[in-house]
Amino acid sequence: MAELGSAALLVTLGLSVYALVAGAAAARLGRRRLALSAQNALVAAFFSTLVASAVLLAALVDSDFSFNYVARTTSEALPTQYKIAAFWGGQEGSLLFWLLVLTAFGALAVRLNRGWARDLIVWAVPVFAAVAVFFSFLVVAVASPFQTQPPPPDGTGMTPSLQNPYMIGHPVFLYLGYVGLTVPFAFALGSLLSGRTDERWLIATRRWTLFAWAALGIGQLLGAHWAYVEVGWGGYFAWDPVENAALMPWLAATAFLHSVMIQEKRGMLRVWNVLLVLLAFSLALFGTFLTRSGVLNSVHSFTQSSIGPWFLAFIALTVAVSLTLLFRRLPQLRSPTRLESPVSREAAFLYNNLLLLALCLTILWGVVYPLLSEAVRGETAVLGRSYYDFFLRIFGLPLLLLMGIGPLIAWRKASLRSLVTTFRWPTTVALVTGGVLVVLGAGSSVPGLVAYTFSAFVMATIVTEFVRGTRARKALGSASWPGAFHSLISRNRRRYGGYVVHAAIVLLAIGIAGSSAFDTVAEAKLKPGQSMDVGRYTLAYRSLEERQVSNATEIRATLAVSRGDRDLGTLEAGKNAYTIEQQVSNEVGIRSDRLTGEDLFVIADQIDLDGSVYFRVFVKPLVNLIWMAGLVFVLGSVIALWPDAREQRRLVARAREVGVPATR
Amino acid sequence: MARKASPARLVIALSVAAVLAVFLLYTSIAGGGNPSIAPSELAGRAEKVRLVGLVMGPVRGDAHAGGLNFKLRDIGGGASTAVPVRYAGSVPDLFKVGREIVIDGRLRNGTFVAERGTMITKCPSKYAPKRNGDPA
Repeated sequence: MAELGSAALLVTLGLSVYALVAGAAAARLGRRRLALSAQNALVAAFFSTLVASAVLLAALVDSDFSFNYVARTTSEALPTQYKIAAFWGGQEGSLLFWLLVLTAFGALAVRLNRGWARDLIVWAVPVFAAVAVFFSFLVVAVASPFQTQPPPPDGTGMTPSLQNPYMIGHPVFLYLGYVGLTVPFAFALGSLLSGRTDERWLIATRRWTLFAWAALGIGQLLGAHWAYVEVGWGGYFAWDPVENAALMPWLAATAFLHSVMIQEKRGMLRVWNVLLVLLAFSLALFGTFLTRSGVLNSVHSFTQSSIGPWFLAFIALTVAVSLTLLFRRLPQLRSPTRLESPVSREAAFLYNNLLLLALCLTILWGVVYPLLSEAVRGETAVLGRSYYDFFLRIFGLPLLLLMGIGPLIAWRKASLRSLVTTFRWPTTVALVTGGVLVVLGAGSSVPGLVAYTFSAFVMATIVTEFVRGTRARKALGSASWPGAFHSLISRNRRRYGGYVVHAAIVLLAIGIAGSSAFDTVAEAKLKPGQSMDVGRYTLAYRSLEERQVSNATEIRATLAVSRGDRDLGTLEAGKNAYTIEQQVSNEVGIRSDRLTGEDLFVIADQIDLDGSVYFRVFVKPLVNLIWMAGLVFVLGSVIALWPDAREQRRLVARAREVGVPATR
Repeated sequence: MARKASPARLVIALSVAAVLAVFLLYTSIAGGGNPSIAPSELAGRAEKVRLVGLVMGPVRGDAHAGGLNFKLRDIGGGASTAVPVRYAGSVPDLFKVGREIVIDGRLRNGTFVAERGTMITKCPSKYAPKRNGDPA
């Protein structure tokens, strides 16, 4: 079977090379039939990759250990869902998965847009093909998932920390996001190559970008939750290089999603948008490079492998080619309009972009700092948590504020009077909230207080917008309030979906500020029968017990929790000792308060032979808002992503109007 | 081609200036990060550093009472590169002899005294097995 897989990948490589060469030739010479054949090759490349993936998946599920990859990543006893997850768990498999998603997205994006943007498509195809050539070359020649060996009796199994339901979702979403960013990149480059530098590439890829961005966001939140409940150090994000690797393209894509609107409406920021897409795509590649090359110290340490230099070369090539092209098309990318006032919606979006980009680049600086300092000073230096936290506040808090201002401020030039009427209520709400919080004692953390005040401001603007819009629709003759509300959203999904996403970001900000700025920590070594106080909670350590389960020994300390006079039941925290893997893992105890969103988080840090346990206990206010933000984020993304034929027609019509050169 | 100066350029220029100013502010306050070094490079350095090395036994003591004592040697280096380390605070699950760890602290009287709770272990089980030539 391995031969079939290898052969299928070879076919994919051949088809991709053909799609690249034939596609480029067809576009250059204006040969329509050749261009069509290149498109078909791209579609066929998807199917051959699908065959290869099916072979690998079958081998994983059947535990065919003659596949080197299967033996290295799974074992006979591994539950089936984790055998499947091993597809993207190892390096070779994840590259194949990348290729599969890439060819699928490429084929689909080309097919969906070929009716109305043909001259763009003919150039996007060779770009897709070029990326596919790179990845199929990797899986064919450098890191093949189909290497065979004499089958060992059993595989080496999967790391216990990966045997977790999150392993099924978290990487998949991240890959969908990373790969999804290829689509806007390919169309942007296609637009530059074809010289048709109008807004159509944006319209063609709008949903793709949104999808990729939403997937990246969901993937990261899943990862954060995984870290919180399973890894058990009391946090959810540690500014680790691999976490940053996913955050950076997400920030770039966020900037792009916003600046796109300015280009659509006002024809501005054309060069900027191409640069953002290029940045997002390169950062997605860079993320894969980081996670797979082992060049940086990370808590995620993946296989150190030989694909690193290939990735660097490909990133360098991508950036060089794109920038050269961009430079050559600069005269055509001159914007017909320009910024009229620094107080306008365009300007607000521009500030948002600059802040997002600044945040993205400072993170990038932190990530590559060890490498740079090694090159310059001859020794590695690392930037710690304080560096990132500092810049998150410096750039993040103004961003939060802009989230309330940007969507409401007038286009072109906002007058003072309009500013007062628009922002009177939100500002009042924000100031009152801030005042109340100071009275309640939240002034202990200034950044926290500022974050809450800004959050109140943004929430007030969002609520105002929904109320105003719904009222207007009701006045226009909707029968009922729910009907008016529904029609409001369905008439402008991007706008109202965007507001919902903004609400999610506000929840996220409140959750992050609450759980980091206002948390309480206590540590104590307790013997059974002793108790400790944390915040308003009292924890009494009752007993320690040991249980044997199929693959591990579980040691659990039982604690009785109470708050004031109220008995809140018991909580278990302890450790699992995995027999075969010879690893120990913390199993934390978490008690979530549904009403306040507060978590009591207990780690049994050290368990002594005499039964005494060293506990670390956190009280994290509002941390559950972070996970709730995830749900709201999904809701907003779905609203914005929901197919909307009317809007698409409108955008297409406008693009036609704005003057597509009538050649060909 | 003379173009009228647009506010966009001014805005961008000012923003870049602001970002640079913030950067300077930060680096002047917080310094440029801690050096990250191997145990063999530690001799004679008094400033705070981040040590990256491999745990050598025996591991003695209690991390929550008096501190954990062990040695750390260069990854891929011999026992001659080892330095004694004292650490207090939370010990990650994966800590044991033969594992790579990262730890912050400074050298005092020949012993590397780590800051409380700074120990990080690197995931041992690379998500695939070690190959020949991989360190440890």
